[in-house]
Amino acid sequence: MSLRIVVCVKYVPDATGDRHFAEDLTTDRDAVDGLLSELDEYAVEQALQIADAADDAEITVLTVGPEDAKDALRKALSMGADKGVHVEDDDLHGTDVVGTSLVLAKAVEHVGYDLVLCGMASTDGTMGVLPAILAERLGVPQVTLLSEVAVADGTVTGRRDGDAASEQLQAQLPAVVSVTDQSGEARYPSFKGIMAAKKKPVESLDLSDLGIDADEVGLGGAWTKVEDAAKRPERTAGTIVKDEGEGGKQLAEFLVSQKFI
Amino acid sequence: MSVTFDNALLESEERRTLRASVAALGRRFGREYFTTAVREGRQTDELWQEAAKLGYLGVNLPEEYGGGGAGLSELAIVLEELGATGCPLLLLVVSPAICGTVIARFGTEEQKRRWLPGLADGTRRMAFGITEPDAGSNSHRITTTARRDGDTWVLTGRKVFVSGVDIADATLIVGRTEDARTGRLKPCLFVVERETPGFEFRHIPMELTAPEKQFQLFLDDVRLPADALVGDEDAGLLQLFAGLNPERVMTAAFSLGMGRYALQVAVEYARVRQVWKAPIGAHQAIAHPLAQARIDLELAGLMTRKAAFLYDAGDDMAAGEAANMAKYAAAEAGARAVDQAVHTLGGNGLTTEYGLASLLTASRVGRIAPVSREMILNFVCHHTLGLPRSY
Repeated sequence: MSLRIVVCVKYVPDATGDRHFAEDLTTDRDAVDGLLSELDEYAVEQALQIADAADDAEITVLTVGPEDAKDALRKALSMGADKGVHVEDDDLHGTDVVGTSLVLAKAVEHVGYDLVLCGMASTDGTMGVLPAILAERLGVPQVTLLSEVAVADGTVTGRRDGDAASEQLQAQLPAVVSVTDQSGEARYPSFKGIMAAKKKPVESLDLSDLGIDADEVGLGGAWTKVEDAAKRPERTAGTIVKDEGEGGKQLAEFLVSQKFI
Repeated sequence: MSVTFDNALLESEERRTLRASVAALGRRFGREYFTTAVREGRQTDELWQEAAKLGYLGVNLPEEYGGGGAGLSELAIVLEELGATGCPLLLLVVSPAICGTVIARFGTEEQKRRWLPGLADGTRRMAFGITEPDAGSNSHRITTTARRDGDTWVLTGRKVFVSGVDIADATLIVGRTEDARTGRLKPCLFVVERETPGFEFRHIPMELTAPEKQFQLFLDDVRLPADALVGDEDAGLLQLFAGLNPERVMTAAFSLGMGRYALQVAVEYARVRQVWKAPIGAHQAIAHPLAQARIDLELAGLMTRKAAFLYDAGDDMAAGEAANMAKYAAAEAGARAVDQAVHTLGGNGLTTEYGLASLLTASRVGRIAPVSREMILNFVCHHTLGLPRSY
């Protein structure tokens, strides 16, 4: 029986771009180019490695997002994933992490899975709780924030590095796993991978396909509401200390004045 | 819906993904990696191998011989994007682009099987020797001559400014043979393996920051097996041009990448460098030339893609004119971008730390090689405009 891996990926605004909020205080996706969240690339990479080690595995990449989110799927497919699932629906605009996890849970069940892989957080919202909520919705074990992961004999094992200790974790499949940016650098798409990606199937689903009511998701269904957002203040010029014999003293005075020492 | 058809104006999703992927790989290595390798006298082998593993080096070669099955358009993207991150791989111009193309199009089945898989996966490299000390850009004056001796060829001559001979398994040499019927000399291409007796190469020290060295070649009665001759003895000129057009397109890609790299350094600097109230990039005397450099690079890039498109479409004649124009335009745009970038940084533009100054010489290469800009202007005068020849 083939190992069914589903990787949840997010299409995010390029973090190097000038990001803004739209009038309804959701992320303005039109202003900046989007891409596959870098943190999700680690999950794709681990999925590929797990699939390589398994006798028989199939990797599905799953995303919830607007039309352009297909780019994120294509990137993952060009890295080597087998097929894509794209959940797209106008009613999804403004969905928060609770709603997104509902859509992902339904879609993961629709696809069929033994292992769900996620990144540690998205690079735009950076909530980081989605894998846990998703596991809860699916009613399966969650093994989160792994920096090392392996699958054998229906069991997932891995290492979670904390500040004080490293934990070895283990769970029976099916399970939800998230991996950190320490889990191993993601591969670049090979030329063959790029050319093959277009021929790989991408299934498009909307809310009705998944049996989800519009009022469970979107801005209206969100459990949280953004009341206000303000642009981060411009960085002000720093203080330059010119060392004319008193440099060390001036540095110390600056640090004291800022209560650093 | 995003546009997904392949043409010179708008790149397909695959080509855009290739650009982004190669650029990401290049950024991981970066300019510092490149200059360190040069300083330590090393090749940028790690980058070469990584690019090879991902199938980027042989994108243009046929799939059945281990290549990517795409074309010159894709190979030019690979070189340009690596260059734009500050670490170009010069041998892409010769190994897969000239030599790989010539062998794939005109080589015997045996020659294809012998060379293409290695050229495609980067485990083997082939240099290209055409320029001669006394012929310069005049390829009709090539004097390297091959004569038949039983089942073998005996090759004698001199070559100059041949890149990467020391790291190439073989060099594709442009020589001439005597036409049995007319007695006239006609061009022929020979694969000369590096360790062949009588084949000597001498390093020419250059003021270029590049890991790949330049060489002078001495071929003294180099005895070659019959199958060292690539393809058809009677179709040498056609075969030669089949290799030279990709060379021009790749030279253009090299210039574009370098120009984009320099421009990016200058723009980043102009954005933050502040001596009066506003960053210097707000001053039009600084900003406008950078904008012009960007426009010139964009236009030259478009011409380069047109040339590659025509070549990939199989129109060698039209590709020849376009490739010449692209080489010219990209070399000029690249050199101007570097010049303006250095000027933007002022004194810092000449420091080792910022690394732009060495591009001043490197960016001249595109104006001189593989043919000088004046020879390209001559070509356009005669071929395109129909003006009389002076030589």
